[in-house]
Amino acid sequence: MATLIVMDHTGDTRHNFDAKNADALLKAEERFKELTGAGFTAAVRTASGEAGVKRTFDPNAEETLFFPRLVGG
Amino acid sequence: MSKQPLPNAKERLRLFLSECGRRARGLCDSLRRQPNRIDSRFVLAFRYRYWEREARGLELLKEWLSPEQFAQYEAKSYFEVTGCHSGKRYRINRGTSMNIHELDGAGRPRLGWCFAPQGHLVAGDVMLAQKIALETDERGALAVANRFSVLTGPRTTLLH
Repeated sequence: MATLIVMDHTGDTRHNFDAKNADALLKAEERFKELTGAGFTAAVRTASGEAGVKRTFDPNAEETLFFPRLVGG
Repeated sequence: MSKQPLPNAKERLRLFLSECGRRARGLCDSLRRQPNRIDSRFVLAFRYRYWEREARGLELLKEWLSPEQFAQYEAKSYFEVTGCHSGKRYRINRGTSMNIHELDGAGRPRLGWCFAPQGHLVAGDVMLAQKIALETDERGALAVANRFSVLTGPRTTLLH
């Protein structure tokens, strides 16, 4: 089971999907495009534990984290 | 002549705080007269949800920290990251704003940076977004950030 984690005011919202299911994968990709289109940054963890930014949907990522656009404080 | 604005600012701050105190006392008096005005269940639920959100944010942060960063955060309530472009070290303190310090070669804070994800996010989420931004797009993050000076010497500890 793969997960899209979206940071929001509730802490985070998680969308689980079966990466082996074509329909679920398509929906996850649509959500990815929707979020990145709205200014969210998508990040995944590499096998070594480092974070990497994804510009396109990675169907093999177990967890993709989305955080809102950065602004100066 | 040049010292004139400071007393004025102090006076305005004093008046502002005095007004805040007056309003707070008024609110307390009003609640004493009408104790049922705020439903205690609402207060408890709000507190519970607030702490639940904070805890979830910190859990997520800890899942994404490297083992070294995790150990550092557990021990000191901050962790350090390396900027992907400059190789500079940054300390991310627990908090949601003005919580990033750029470190000098000796590991002392030399400059503060302030940026965060848009919206009202909990501290764990903010710190995680700051970490990922500095580790993957340092220039982009600093381009939107505001700088602030950091006290040096013994008073530096006040900022941690």
